[in-house]
Amino acid sequence: MATTAISTKKKTVRMNGCVASAQAAKYADVDVITAYPIRPYTATMMALAQMVANGELDAEYIVADSEHSQLSIAHGASSSGARVFTGSSGVGVQFAYELYSPISGSRMPVQMMIADRTLDPPGDFGSEHTDALSTRDMGWLMGWACDAQEAFDNHLMAYRIGEDPRVLLPQMVCQDGFFVSHITTDVELPDPGQVKEFLPPYKHPYPLDPRHPVSHGPQIMPEQGPPLQLERARAMEGSMTVIEQVHDEFAQIFGRKYDPWVEEFMTDGAEVVFFMQGGHAVTARFAIQHLRDEGVKVGLVRLRTIRPYPTDRVNKVLSKFKVVGVIETNMGLGSVSSGGSLYAEACAALYESPQHPLVISFMAGMGGEAIVLKEFYWMTKKMMEAQKRGKIEKRTHWVGFEE
Amino acid sequence: MSYTELTVWTRGIIMDKEGRDIVNSISASARLEGKFAQAMENYVDNPDRTNAPTRKYCRLSDNVLENELTYENEKPNIVVLVEGTMVKGWDYMRGMPPGGTLVINTHYTPEYMIRFVPGPERLAQLVCVDAAKLADHKWLYYRLGQLGLDRLSTEGAAERSKAIAPDIAAPLIAAVVKSTGIVKRETIEPMIANKKAFQMALDELHIMPLNPVAA
Repeated sequence: MATTAISTKKKTVRMNGCVASAQAAKYADVDVITAYPIRPYTATMMALAQMVANGELDAEYIVADSEHSQLSIAHGASSSGARVFTGSSGVGVQFAYELYSPISGSRMPVQMMIADRTLDPPGDFGSEHTDALSTRDMGWLMGWACDAQEAFDNHLMAYRIGEDPRVLLPQMVCQDGFFVSHITTDVELPDPGQVKEFLPPYKHPYPLDPRHPVSHGPQIMPEQGPPLQLERARAMEGSMTVIEQVHDEFAQIFGRKYDPWVEEFMTDGAEVVFFMQGGHAVTARFAIQHLRDEGVKVGLVRLRTIRPYPTDRVNKVLSKFKVVGVIETNMGLGSVSSGGSLYAEACAALYESPQHPLVISFMAGMGGEAIVLKEFYWMTKKMMEAQKRGKIEKRTHWVGFEE
Repeated sequence: MSYTELTVWTRGIIMDKEGRDIVNSISASARLEGKFAQAMENYVDNPDRTNAPTRKYCRLSDNVLENELTYENEKPNIVVLVEGTMVKGWDYMRGMPPGGTLVINTHYTPEYMIRFVPGPERLAQLVCVDAAKLADHKWLYYRLGQLGLDRLSTEGAAERSKAIAPDIAAPLIAAVVKSTGIVKRETIEPMIANKKAFQMALDELHIMPLNPVAA
């Protein structure tokens, strides 16, 4: 479907992450939007509703009766060949859980915006990454933005990657609730011509069409299962090349260059580093600058894409350092570290490295609490103590609960 | 002052826009004046709470805001009560450093209202302005359409919209600007929809000087 004239050229506008996501969907000229309100994602669906009502965006806007229906409709719409945009937060992400595997299994490049919200308990509005992270093995491409501009850019890149015929996978484009979704920063909106060049209209190879009947997702026999699963695994693995190509092309067209896998901040000469994803990296950068002024050799490695997991890259980057402090912002109850789930994957990625840094898991930002500068200083102190000792004190520290 | 926090207390849903207009316009003006500034709503207060006290925040600084992701103002230098009866019942003065300013929308005088303020010794001035009267406050009847606009928790409304502060926010902004000099009048006035109420408030507000802090 054609969008009725985005007449604007490139411009910089102040907006929060939720509005940036809605803008990205508009620039991507989506065909179908399925929505169901839950904070903080609600602000995105409200912005999109306004765009549709104002005639800025020509799309079917369907308000479902639950997140489960929301994702079911998204699945159907994508099967018919539409470019689909949906989204949710917290328990809403969980309520739609049944649909994640069928959507990736039928290779439908549905895009879902996630503005994280802590699961119940504590039922507050804050951001923990557990909602989306709990779906990380369902065959969706997944990564976190740390500000509104990056969220905007990630949406465009994710469509391009997911719709590539070599990939055909759904995408979760994640941002922290509040810390990104409701904090306002300058966002450069591109010229629509640039987006047209970068993101051509979506063409599914086998859409549902009565004139050319095909079957999607029929019940199959057990012996047909393994090849189907292998195909999906290969698609995920094969997406890594596409992801790198798309990031290069994005940089050429829009002038913003992202490393697709990790952002390294002040890692030159660093001995201890934070390893984290999402919006708290903004505060981490300030903390690191102050610590560097005092001569502390600390840096930041921010994971930008967690599915597919950049194992080799994480291995190569993290093995340069003496101590890695994983900031979790998610719950992995009873997991390897008894803390969050990022630790286990970081350790697994490092296993084949001859140079093992010490790895510590920090439970910070839990329940959606902000991680303030002094907590970053405290975590740095813990990492430096471990470096001096040559041994970690324990696998998991709960920040704010210890001396 | 190199760093200033402004906290606005308002009534959920029905007066959200009033509070939001105050922080948005002051933050946008500060940026025009070359400062670093941020406006946001209290994220936890926000939804579905008709009449309940909700907070809107603004931060201004000569330097980059390193606490951009901190979700509450901890030490407000300026507090605004968008609705007069909010003066009783809870500690909106919490965390205010000495030398603060409290602005109340009320038809009473500061001399009368001061008795309800918790910890008034922290105030350098108490400012009262009859914003509802000055703004000819009738939005419940004919401005519902405008109330429906700009429902999102977004800073940036001052840049986008020509209808910022059509109502009681206008005299309250005037009171803040005149009593604290937080931004220049020339910068903020073009953003204000209800210019008449803004200008009248500059003359009709009541400032009660209290405990100045030596600079």
